[in-house]
Amino acid sequence: MRPNFFHHLHPPTIPAAQARWRYTLGAGGTAVFLMLVLLVTGTIEMFYYVATPEEAGLSIQTITYLVPFGGLIRNLHFWSAQLLIIVSAVHLMRIVFTGAYLPPRRFNYLLGLALFVFAILLNFTGYILRWDTGIQWALVVGTNLVKTIPIFGNDLYRILIGGTQPGLATLTRFYAWHIFGLMLIAAILAVWHAFRVRRDGGIALPPPALRTNKERISRFELVRREVLAMLLTDAALIILSVFSPAPIAAPITEITTLVPDARAPWFFLWVQQMLKWGDPFIWGVLVPLMVLAILTLIPYIFPKPIEGELGRWFPRSSRIAQIVLAMIASLIILLTILGGLPVL
Amino acid sequence: MTAESRRDFLKIARDVMLTLSGALAFGGLLRFLDFDPSHAPRTEFDIGAAEDYPLNSRTLLPDPPAMLIHTDGGFSAFSLVCTHLGCAVEQNADGFACPCHGSRFDAGGMVTHGPATKSLRSLRLEMTAEGNLKLFTD
Amino acid sequence: MRRFIVIASAVLLLAIILAGWMNSRQPVPVILIPTLTGQPEYCLTCHADLSEISPSHPVSTFGCVLCHGGERLALDADLAHSTMRGGRNPSDLSVVEASCGGSNCHSGSEADNRDHIQRVMTSIQTTYAGAITNIRFTFGAQPDQTARFGIRDVTDEQTRTGITSLASFDPAGESNQFIRKFADNCLTCHINAVPREGVHYMHQTGCAACHSPLPPGESWDSGNVHLLTTAIPYTQCNTCHNRGNYDLRQMEFIERTDHPVQRIDDYYQPIAQFVLCEYTLDCIDCHTRIEAMGDGDLHGSKKGIQYVQCRTCHGTPTELPLTKTLTDPNDIAFKLAFLNPVVDLHPGDTILVTEKGEALWNTLVLPDGTYSMVSMSTRQYFTFHPVMGSACTQTGEDQSSAYCHTCHAIER
Repeated sequence: MRPNFFHHLHPPTIPAAQARWRYTLGAGGTAVFLMLVLLVTGTIEMFYYVATPEEAGLSIQTITYLVPFGGLIRNLHFWSAQLLIIVSAVHLMRIVFTGAYLPPRRFNYLLGLALFVFAILLNFTGYILRWDTGIQWALVVGTNLVKTIPIFGNDLYRILIGGTQPGLATLTRFYAWHIFGLMLIAAILAVWHAFRVRRDGGIALPPPALRTNKERISRFELVRREVLAMLLTDAALIILSVFSPAPIAAPITEITTLVPDARAPWFFLWVQQMLKWGDPFIWGVLVPLMVLAILTLIPYIFPKPIEGELGRWFPRSSRIAQIVLAMIASLIILLTILGGLPVL
Repeated sequence: MTAESRRDFLKIARDVMLTLSGALAFGGLLRFLDFDPSHAPRTEFDIGAAEDYPLNSRTLLPDPPAMLIHTDGGFSAFSLVCTHLGCAVEQNADGFACPCHGSRFDAGGMVTHGPATKSLRSLRLEMTAEGNLKLFTD
Repeated sequence: MRRFIVIASAVLLLAIILAGWMNSRQPVPVILIPTLTGQPEYCLTCHADLSEISPSHPVSTFGCVLCHGGERLALDADLAHSTMRGGRNPSDLSVVEASCGGSNCHSGSEADNRDHIQRVMTSIQTTYAGAITNIRFTFGAQPDQTARFGIRDVTDEQTRTGITSLASFDPAGESNQFIRKFADNCLTCHINAVPREGVHYMHQTGCAACHSPLPPGESWDSGNVHLLTTAIPYTQCNTCHNRGNYDLRQMEFIERTDHPVQRIDDYYQPIAQFVLCEYTLDCIDCHTRIEAMGDGDLHGSKKGIQYVQCRTCHGTPTELPLTKTLTDPNDIAFKLAFLNPVVDLHPGDTILVTEKGEALWNTLVLPDGTYSMVSMSTRQYFTFHPVMGSACTQTGEDQSSAYCHTCHAIER
């Protein structure tokens, strides 16, 4: 067949060994697909969502219960957002565990990290748009954390909130961030990230001289694999959405009254746990930023993988970086589980 | 079955299923978009006691915009929404005129000058047991 | 790979069909736009089989959310019920102002006869001031029988009794153990008591304690106990009154374990005397609206508010009972008769009234000078004579219980 637009987005052939599911896990591609689902479902949700404190919760109830298939669309949006975080984390770990951050791919690693941060911010701003009693912890505590930053904390808080306390201006701003501000930047970063994959020579692998497996697959076969992944991910999203609805709670009436079992969104449960240990600026702002700093510096400060060991999991040369990432990941997972346990 | 015909069958099966999926999804999308969150607008209005509108009176009601007339034959009402594109017509010496595009109607609501082509719509009235009037816009 | 794609397409198609099928199984939303609020609510999607609560609160006018609260757009039970006021009983006194209040409803002005909530909040059935005061006085915690404490803090600025406020009774601050025992064992008997566990008890607080009796033919478990009425049967009063015996020496309450059926033989205490009226009429035939819901003032004992006596209807050997000829069509007697149509009242009719001017709207002065009454709940029809001109040998001023009861109480 003649290659179409989607075929031409891919190189004519790619090495078969690195195209295997068990090497890439299809994580990056799945993340792109999830972003597309988010874009589509989010756009059609905009036909009903109203971003005012009085109407936000009610408009979400309208979407969930009254609009035909509204509940399905909302659940799809919710699950693709949560899966995006997980799949992006898996992708990040795959990159580090296979040493795929070695230059020239190092800049793309930084782009990807930035994308991950934006995915989390998009998830958080979308969470706030619910404007119900379930998100109040995140809204009040999460924004108060900004105030703990020395020197410019209060100014930053005012810019974020749009006033002195969360209210109509906050919701308007978070809506603007969510559907445009963050989205625009994330879209640019995503396209750049995908472009850099091709520019840097595709999926990380040893240089031609050191490759043992010369087998390659065509762009047609590659697109077929991606289509398969998309179909299966789509089906999984629909099944999840049908059987597990997105959380919903009663709309916020008073911004200051918090429910007793106030919880952070799941991807911030680890921060909520750490906040129990002491000073909010240190544990709520500084430590998470330090984690991000370590992740950013992985390609710089730890022994780099050698070219010949690329293209497979756990190359010896970058073992230290793998161990550091594994430790950070385990800690965050452990804290998340602890935070997620029912309050005894 | 030959390899080619099996491949063709699988190809057709795949295309049919994907097309069907797409069509169902599109149908779902159309149903999703066809919903009015503000629900049906009010069509029934309580305009007060019938004795507030004495015989031979013509009363301009504000909400909904309408003219209420009390004659020997009873009560009648017609809408003051221009039949051209929906602006509220204004009263003048000869009847009503629409400020938007110049349509004119006589005192009874009949159209005298375009661009409107239809006369002002007559509205249904009902009297309740307590002697109140109800106006219907449906 | 191609084979997998065919299979995946099939899986996707099945998932979409599954989503569509699950969607079609959801209940069709049933909308109600009450004329009082204009805001759509969807409670009827699940609760369409609930009966109308009363002719004066039609669901097409009030809707459900105005009284009960709740999330009007939600079709998921947990979310829809999450913001309901008072659980199953929105008239619980902790939330009654939001549910039943409002100047057009039941917390308006005295002149409009809309001050029910203000009256109930200060009534002795709610404050329990009489019992608390008496126990504290008896056991030496206060030097006199002036009421100082009630179940909750309450003030009465325009008091006519001299009691301007009651403080919240805190048994932990009492040194006498009998007062504390009283608090432990006896404080379940007021309208804003915390109800016991169980669906049967949820309606025994607030306005529902009197005005929501069990509808005929229903059981508390059936769920269809949706009723507001002014025709309160004696059995409703007896859900709190006649519940058992109290032992004042042990300061304990011994709850009865039988299930009474016969009113005079089973329900009522074997230690008291009763005349025919007391075990035949409905409680509310004599215990008027002021007696039951209060007069808006704080009282320190039942004596201050219970004033209806035998002579209110029967008169004395020297006086006829008070009457009133109804001329004003806006007289409250007509409104009360309209709410509970056991009699057909017309302007020009003469009815009995109490010493405080309360209309005994279910009575009539008949042309021959005798009287008739229709019981407000049982609708039994009675005719009776004034005492004046009869063989009664009592002096008019002797109105305590011993006097009429001496001749007229039955032997059990």
